[in-house]
Amino acid sequence: MTVAQLTLPTAQVSYDAPIEAELERLVELFALQPTLAAAYPLRWLAVQIFEGDEGLLAEVTAAGGPSLSAEITASMQRLQARYGEDLDITLVDQRYRFVHALAGKVLTRPGSVHDLTMSDRVDKVLTNRFLGVPFFFAMMWLVFKLTTDVAGPFVDWVDGVINGPISNWVIGLLGVLGLAGTWVESLLVGAVLAGVGGVLVFVPVLFALYFALAVLEDSGYMARAAFVMDRFMHRLGLHGKSFLPMIVGFGCTVPAIYATRTLDSPRDRLLTGLLVPFMSCSARLPVYVLVATIFFPAQAGLVIFGLYLTGVVMAIVIGMLLQKTLFRNQPPSPFVLELPPYRIPAWRTVWVQMWSRTASFVQKAWTIIFATSIVIWLLLAIPVRGAGQFAQAEMDQSAFALLARGVSPIFAPLGFGNWQSSGALTTGFVAKEVVVTTMLQTYHLDGGEAEGAVPTTFIEDVTGIFTSFGTAVVDALKVIPQMVGLNLGAAEDEEEFVPEGLATAIQANFAASSGGHAGLAALAFLVFVLLYTPCMVATAAARHEFGPRWIWVSIVGQFGVAWLAALIVFQGGRLLGLG
Amino acid sequence: MADLTIALAGNPNVGKSTVFNALTGMRQHVGNWPGKTVERKEGQLTLGTHTATIVDLPGTYSLTARSLEEQIARDFIIRERPDAVVNVLDVANLERNLYLTAQLLEMEVPLVLVLNMVDVADARGLKLDQPALAAALGVPVVMMAASRGQGMDELKRVLSQLIASAPAQARGGIA
Repeated sequence: MTVAQLTLPTAQVSYDAPIEAELERLVELFALQPTLAAAYPLRWLAVQIFEGDEGLLAEVTAAGGPSLSAEITASMQRLQARYGEDLDITLVDQRYRFVHALAGKVLTRPGSVHDLTMSDRVDKVLTNRFLGVPFFFAMMWLVFKLTTDVAGPFVDWVDGVINGPISNWVIGLLGVLGLAGTWVESLLVGAVLAGVGGVLVFVPVLFALYFALAVLEDSGYMARAAFVMDRFMHRLGLHGKSFLPMIVGFGCTVPAIYATRTLDSPRDRLLTGLLVPFMSCSARLPVYVLVATIFFPAQAGLVIFGLYLTGVVMAIVIGMLLQKTLFRNQPPSPFVLELPPYRIPAWRTVWVQMWSRTASFVQKAWTIIFATSIVIWLLLAIPVRGAGQFAQAEMDQSAFALLARGVSPIFAPLGFGNWQSSGALTTGFVAKEVVVTTMLQTYHLDGGEAEGAVPTTFIEDVTGIFTSFGTAVVDALKVIPQMVGLNLGAAEDEEEFVPEGLATAIQANFAASSGGHAGLAALAFLVFVLLYTPCMVATAAARHEFGPRWIWVSIVGQFGVAWLAALIVFQGGRLLGLG
Repeated sequence: MADLTIALAGNPNVGKSTVFNALTGMRQHVGNWPGKTVERKEGQLTLGTHTATIVDLPGTYSLTARSLEEQIARDFIIRERPDAVVNVLDVANLERNLYLTAQLLEMEVPLVLVLNMVDVADARGLKLDQPALAAALGVPVVMMAASRGQGMDELKRVLSQLIASAPAQARGGIA
């Protein structure tokens, strides 16, 4: 008991005598209500009521009835007559006085208070009117590169290990069990492993993101970044810190949604999270490249740039709209910001954050991703026409094609109401880059991806995993000098390979579904891909961060926005006599 | 005996996470507060034969329930009645940090003050009278430089004293 008393504070903030008298009166009244006395420290409760806490006031009123409520009002009126309407400010002020007196008693400052600390001197440069913004953009560029180029080789490695050695082992094992070539193999490799891979490929990306976030936050720069960008972002009704998730969004929506954690108010977090998917993520680029090179070979670059710009403009427009509607009652949070002193990040803290936040994503996201993979696999596996057997159906004879045909009328007003397009958009929910693969498959062309399975031994597989990891490390390290502008070794140009015959097939199909306006339909298709529902992993991330309610706003809302925008492009273009 | 709960409270940027990590090591769990988008971190601390759950409250400047973070921190202390609240303060900005302490005093909960960043304060020539602060508030005060691990043993010692006395406390919390 003695220690318990030792640890219960003996001091108390003391207010002016009139306030103390009213507090005492309320405490006595509260003590008569057993429910209150059991649940709350009564003096604290009285202070909260004086500070205008409506939730607690309602509870007290519920417990004590109208008579207690009248007593509280009387108390507050007496105090307000003396201190003015804003009683809460009076209490805060008196608490500060207590704190000031206490600090004066225990703290001695050196004579020269106005010496600039090291931190202040650094800030003279980094939050400087002219240097602040370029430095900020340089930092954003670094974060973007980290989550894309540096994480990239590791993403490929994870992907390679799962699709290479691990699927080989699964297939081998199934062969031993006599299940080779059966639907079990198809399910395990095509759905289960694909789902696992779908989650794990994001681990390097999130590791990189959380590393960058932890370093930016722990070093103290994040607060400066918000300060530097706030004037601009506030005009859009966003917070200075919203900028970082937006930039990360150009790499991948998933880490971008998690990057909204750096925002303090739930309103800013959610609003930013809803806008992030409009930043065109890198997985959508292959779709742009494929479609743009087929339909607009001369201006492909311009079209792609235009799409990125459209995404940004849409984010700004939608952001404004959301603030006028859904967020009408939630004004932007006032910009009060502490600039903490710069510090070297504690590496252990950085590591713990990287690890625990990434693990939390894997735990939370796998259910949605797994379920979606299985559903898509089932749709593709079930034959509805022709002679195909379960798990061996041709794509155009599968339940998937049936479904795609069923939904394709939705896209008819947009000019691409053909089942190949709606099918590709459906699998695009799994991952945006899959749109390309599905298009190739629906037009009966394999994208040259069917690697001739070279039989490997177990030992070769295991050494392969390690050597390819080594290559990934080297590749990632090679990116770092490039980030600061050095280019060691020429970067290979990635040329997108458009298979023979695909271009003509797609062109013919789009021409048919659009009534001869293939170019406009292709543009509408691209705009749709840019804006529609983010992939399942991004959806899982949004659910993880914002709760199940908001993912529907995101899924349905974005689908609607994309549909309208594509409609405007196609029908508007036709009316104007373009294409 | 894992029935003790210790909450960590403090302003943002005072090294609360470093203290939390040092106390719990890798034995921690990150989730969200129920129905909220704010991260909830908790971990286990073993002191002798006892285990305590350390809950890292969101970093806040006050406990007036004006923001989600403040509300979470306040509700946890009031409704869950932790066995102790460890209030981490940045000595280099003591006065501003003490505002939260003043509010914690009003919540009538066993309190331990951790004055972090004594190294930074030293470098700036700030002098702190630890016994005077402890006497003025009637709470244990631990001096710490968490980034260097200084003061962590002292905090653990203070906490084990607390744990030793805990079964006798019968605080009637809901925990």
